[in-house]
Amino acid sequence: MTSPSELQAQMVDFLRRRGDLQHDEAARRFAEEHLGGNERLSAVAQLEIYREQFWLRHTGSLVEDFPGVGGIIGAKAWERLVEEYLLAHRPESFTLRDLGDRLPAFIAGAEWLEERDLAGDMARLEWAHVEVFDAVDAPRLDPQKLAAVPEDAWEGARLVPDPGLRVLRFEYPVVSLRRKLVEAQKSGASVPLPEREPCRFAVHRREHLIHHDALAVDACALLEAIVSGAPLGVACERAASSLGVAPEAIGEKLEGWFADWARRGYVVDVDVVVS
Amino acid sequence: MTRPRLGLPDLGVGVGLRVPHYRRVFAERPPIDFVEVISENFMLGGGRPRHHLDRALESYPLVAHGVSLGIGGPDEPDATYLARLRDFAANTGTPWVSDHFCWCGAGGAHLHDLLPLPFTPELVRRVADRARRVQDAIDRPFALENTSSYLTYRSSVLAEWEFIGEIAERANIGLLFDVNNVFVTAYNHGIDPIEFVRRVPHDRIVQIHLAGHTNFGTHVIDTHGGHVIDPVWALYRLTIELAGSVSTLIEWDDDIPELEVLLAEAERARSERDRALAARQAGSTSVDDRAIAAVREAARPGTSERDAVWHGWVQGGPREAAE
Repeated sequence: MTSPSELQAQMVDFLRRRGDLQHDEAARRFAEEHLGGNERLSAVAQLEIYREQFWLRHTGSLVEDFPGVGGIIGAKAWERLVEEYLLAHRPESFTLRDLGDRLPAFIAGAEWLEERDLAGDMARLEWAHVEVFDAVDAPRLDPQKLAAVPEDAWEGARLVPDPGLRVLRFEYPVVSLRRKLVEAQKSGASVPLPEREPCRFAVHRREHLIHHDALAVDACALLEAIVSGAPLGVACERAASSLGVAPEAIGEKLEGWFADWARRGYVVDVDVVVS
Repeated sequence: MTRPRLGLPDLGVGVGLRVPHYRRVFAERPPIDFVEVISENFMLGGGRPRHHLDRALESYPLVAHGVSLGIGGPDEPDATYLARLRDFAANTGTPWVSDHFCWCGAGGAHLHDLLPLPFTPELVRRVADRARRVQDAIDRPFALENTSSYLTYRSSVLAEWEFIGEIAERANIGLLFDVNNVFVTAYNHGIDPIEFVRRVPHDRIVQIHLAGHTNFGTHVIDTHGGHVIDPVWALYRLTIELAGSVSTLIEWDDDIPELEVLLAEAERARSERDRALAARQAGSTSVDDRAIAAVREAARPGTSERDAVWHGWVQGGPREAAE
């Protein structure tokens, strides 16, 4: 006797299968044993309704969230990519919003994909869009709190980034490419794929809009270290080390960057370690 | 005479608030009694969804309706999800929180579908026990909705109305009665929709859903993609005559029309509701034998075939996208 839980677990397995269950002998046997069916739809045809909907719903959600990736690799490769992704990574979150969280890493491992590096950059950009779009709202940086930070506390202080901020490095100019691809999907125009051109961006939500702010190499290195949670002194050292420059070279520019980042809202708080 | 409806208010006639209508609804504030939102679309954090939720709360009473709890699945309800739902309910002041008599996945997988449950005593116990705990966890009245279904289980031994009625009584929760789902399920499984409406525990109905569906001839899918059909309006009037004045909501999630069309559908619901309440008051009925026969005839498969294109849809309509 199959328990309800066993029945449900088996159904999940069938509903995630790629092919039409009406041509799947195991599914047909399962359906005939457990499902009713009727004179219009066999038991396995009833099960197939849900399987088909599973694929339509989830592929549709990925199409919505990753139009740039689809535009780069084309319809045929996109279909294969999404199929393999959904077979490899079952949805687990209660919201479809999280469906693509592992797509950037999955693309990085998809060796068959001709435009893998470009598509991977695009997937990271588009996933960042999903994340910052509904990230928790944070209050703006309080100037009074800032003014109260003792001079000698700055080195050990952590700058708290806005939850709606992501710092990304790309090998290809995917920000401008995505704009062109989305536009071309409306007009039907074709878009030539760009050559390699490394770039860095702060993807940041301000006033409910997503902004793409280009970052210089050194500013990006520091911002990455800050976003990772490093105290300011450590962040400066880490950035300097990655750039092969003296920490002072970073320190000299820090005040200007900080003013700019505070104005844009990248930094929303300062955590001072009280000794 | 029905007992008080679990102390919950009749909010009137409302609509499911969906992304394509945000701009006009917030700017024009059309005369809607209340709006319903999909809880999961607003439970995560901030940004534009939060902003739109705040705008909705400024404009209308709001009720929260979920699509992801999967209360009848093998896995226990997710504690993090419930904590978020509790916070969301508290923040919105929703008078009740609803979800579905369904399951959504197993072993950690979530299929984002409202999968039907076997109607067995074991599942009654499972769902009733969890529903009681969910109601405690969210600290607010909880209701479950009858789903549309496209398959049946050989193990089912109860009628659907017995199944949902027994759970509602045991867990002391409300029912969100979807009249269109009654029609869809009746059509798909050869059930008498009139019997369904008559036998469900009317005093537990705290809200009614109305929507359109798509007929594929062999079966009907609950797409929420069109007008409510006349037989469903008749079932709705019958429900109101039996249950009294219940908050009623129009859902339209697929092929979402211009706002005027949705509002006209809500006005139709108001008019049908008034007609049924007047009949109830007068001790008569607006659903005579001829109307009942027409409903039963419409719910017989093959009687209203039309060409339909099968494509995916999402319960609760499209979620708000980043760009």
